[in-house]
Amino acid sequence: MKDKIFGVLQRVGRSFMLPIAILPVAGLLLGLGSSFTNETTLNTYGLMGIMGPGTVLNAILQVMSAAGDIVFANLPIIFAMGVAIGMAKKEKEVAALAAVVAFFIMHASISAMITINGGTEKLLAGASASVCGITSLQMGVFGGIIVGLGVAALHNRFYKIELPQVLSFFGGTRFVPIISAIVYTFVGIGMFFVWPVVQQGIFAIGDFVMKSGYAGTWVYGFMERLLIPFGLHHVFYLPFWQTGLGGTMTVAGQAVEGAQNIFFAQLADPSVKHFAVSATRFMSGKFPLMIFGLPGAALAMYKTAKPEKKKAVFGLLLSAALTAMLTGITEPLEFTFIFVAPMLYGIHCVFAGLAYMLMHMLNVGVGMTFSGGIIDLTLFGILQGNAKTNWIWIVVVGIGYFIVYYLLFSFLIKKLDLKTPGRDDSEEVKLYRRSDVDARKNASKGEGKAADPADEMSQNICQGLGGKANISDVDCCATRLRCTVYDSKKVSDGILKATGASGVIHKGNGVQVIYGPRVTIIKSHLEEYLENAPEEVYDNSSAENEEVSEATDNPSTEEKKVVKTIVISSPMTGTAAELSTAPDEGFAAKMMGDGAVVEPSESMVCAPEDGEVAFVFDTKHAIGYTTDTGVELLIHVGIDTVKLEGQGFEVLVENGQKLKKGDPMLKLDLDYLKAHAPSVVSPILCTEMEDNMRIRVLKEGKVQSGEALFAIDICE
Amino acid sequence: MKKFDYVIKDEIGIHARPAGLLVKEAKKYESKITMEANGKKAEATKLMLIMAMGIKCGQTVTVQVEGADEEIAYENIKKFFEDNI
Repeated sequence: MKDKIFGVLQRVGRSFMLPIAILPVAGLLLGLGSSFTNETTLNTYGLMGIMGPGTVLNAILQVMSAAGDIVFANLPIIFAMGVAIGMAKKEKEVAALAAVVAFFIMHASISAMITINGGTEKLLAGASASVCGITSLQMGVFGGIIVGLGVAALHNRFYKIELPQVLSFFGGTRFVPIISAIVYTFVGIGMFFVWPVVQQGIFAIGDFVMKSGYAGTWVYGFMERLLIPFGLHHVFYLPFWQTGLGGTMTVAGQAVEGAQNIFFAQLADPSVKHFAVSATRFMSGKFPLMIFGLPGAALAMYKTAKPEKKKAVFGLLLSAALTAMLTGITEPLEFTFIFVAPMLYGIHCVFAGLAYMLMHMLNVGVGMTFSGGIIDLTLFGILQGNAKTNWIWIVVVGIGYFIVYYLLFSFLIKKLDLKTPGRDDSEEVKLYRRSDVDARKNASKGEGKAADPADEMSQNICQGLGGKANISDVDCCATRLRCTVYDSKKVSDGILKATGASGVIHKGNGVQVIYGPRVTIIKSHLEEYLENAPEEVYDNSSAENEEVSEATDNPSTEEKKVVKTIVISSPMTGTAAELSTAPDEGFAAKMMGDGAVVEPSESMVCAPEDGEVAFVFDTKHAIGYTTDTGVELLIHVGIDTVKLEGQGFEVLVENGQKLKKGDPMLKLDLDYLKAHAPSVVSPILCTEMEDNMRIRVLKEGKVQSGEALFAIDICE
Repeated sequence: MKKFDYVIKDEIGIHARPAGLLVKEAKKYESKITMEANGKKAEATKLMLIMAMGIKCGQTVTVQVEGADEEIAYENIKKFFEDNI
């Protein structure tokens, strides 16, 4: 059970990565844009002339600020989609659409409930927000996560649902947005009652903090960090920054409310000797934490990542750490460990509180526009001078924070084997392959499991389409399975119709199989089956004209799962046939190996595949050839041609020579051979046949040099 | 371990067909059967390697049999050479 929860948490954390990837860019845009469009800042540094309102630079910065801001403003819906995509097992795009639908519906329901119950005035100040234009409860990113997780759960449960025939158009993936819409209507109604209780708790804590001293500052810092994952930190700190909760002060003769307002009023007032710490206690603590502490944690995570993954993790961590340092946007970094190692985040919160408290105690008075990065530190700390700000303590405490974070994170990650980025056991690529193999094993082993009728049907469809290797893509419309195949000749209408199709339409390489409205479910099953199916080709071109019973017999001979198929192409142009037709008992009885025969009509014998010449007989009539795929081939030209002692052959290669498919190897004097040998029918053999290998002739009749001749199926 | 020398009598040496027969025979036994000629060595179960040895009429092949059933294998392989090659 514990493992299961952990596994889910890990996937939740991973599903955050997609939306998080946009944050650094959005953060930079917003940080730069808002810092340099703030008129107080511009006035302070005399930049009004070049960057003030009306200048081109200002316009650019305003656009940047807006572009960055819109991402942060809409993080909840971005998370709703991101989490739904990450948590959905298949057909992820459907989950994303359903998440958006559910998100809108949930907030619209809340909004309606608010209106019914007397509007936002009845709610606590700051409890409501405009979410994508809907007046709703301020739920932050948490609202998006509730939607994402719920929709993904609904999706995974229902995306393959089969409805009665009359409703079957709404079955399968189409059912997911429908059910999500219904469920989230009620979730929204529920949230209207539940969420304000959560918010009240938040406000109560804020009130308590204000009434306390250094300890209160610690609690403030601790809470602010703790709320980040819920997106509630804005709800929490904005009252301190912008309302009387953060203090009231008379600056330059005017009463100013709120910590940030006080700071900026003082910034503009040249008579101020030192910025009021009673205000900056709600801000300064961010600097040592973001510029020094978190990068230390990032370094620890990089150092503890598995060596083979360091490179991949480096980019993620470096960009996240730089974002935190420069702009004070810490979510990219914090989200890398919060869900895989909540304990680290807990420690981080404790240290965050401590940072605010230390800054308070050390009388550090540095404010900020937006967050605690180097940009703000430079503008409002360093440039203001140490006398006014005591900013030097930020660096001193910060260096300590860097060291402590690095050592503590390294120690805990290693000690508790926390799965921070790059330490995940389940390396995604490998996991996928391993599970692939397992899926195959299960399929061939337990008949009970493999007997899933849906999978059996998928298998038959796959076979009817000429095998997985022949299928380019699969899609569907309302009634038809629309597939693109590589070779339409390999498609068998008979097998497809046997799976319940009412018709099959061919258009070039496009194949439409008509199943009716239940096709979306068939498509889902087929896609799932194809993900685990081996790469193989079923050539139905010859079976096409045979009895249907023959075609349905096919699956029974395919009992053993083919795990690998190697295709051998014809080394010569001529007429291909089964090996058993060879006019020589030894070859026909497969004594020297299994394969096919080609009666050459042109004089050149070429390399069938990339590989190496193993040997050329002294009598030039046969070549041993090892392909790069490890198949040992004997290309034996003609029957009893050994007796010609080289006459009629011209060898163009030597032992050990590496060749590319199609490179010439032998030149034949066909007239001479036909006159002097019993036959020019040439066996092309795989000489080392193991018990688990089977030959499937792919081409009979006219064959071109280089065209697929036979396949070697390797079973488990 | 047992071994014997054999002089090839087949006029065209060990070409595809006799090699195929030999491999078939050699695969019947658990013992490891190796052939040595022309300074090359090959396991008798590897058709490609045997053919690559290019053994011709009149050449001497040293056949070596080693393993659990080497007594029987030795007798039968020796007989096989005499009968077929």
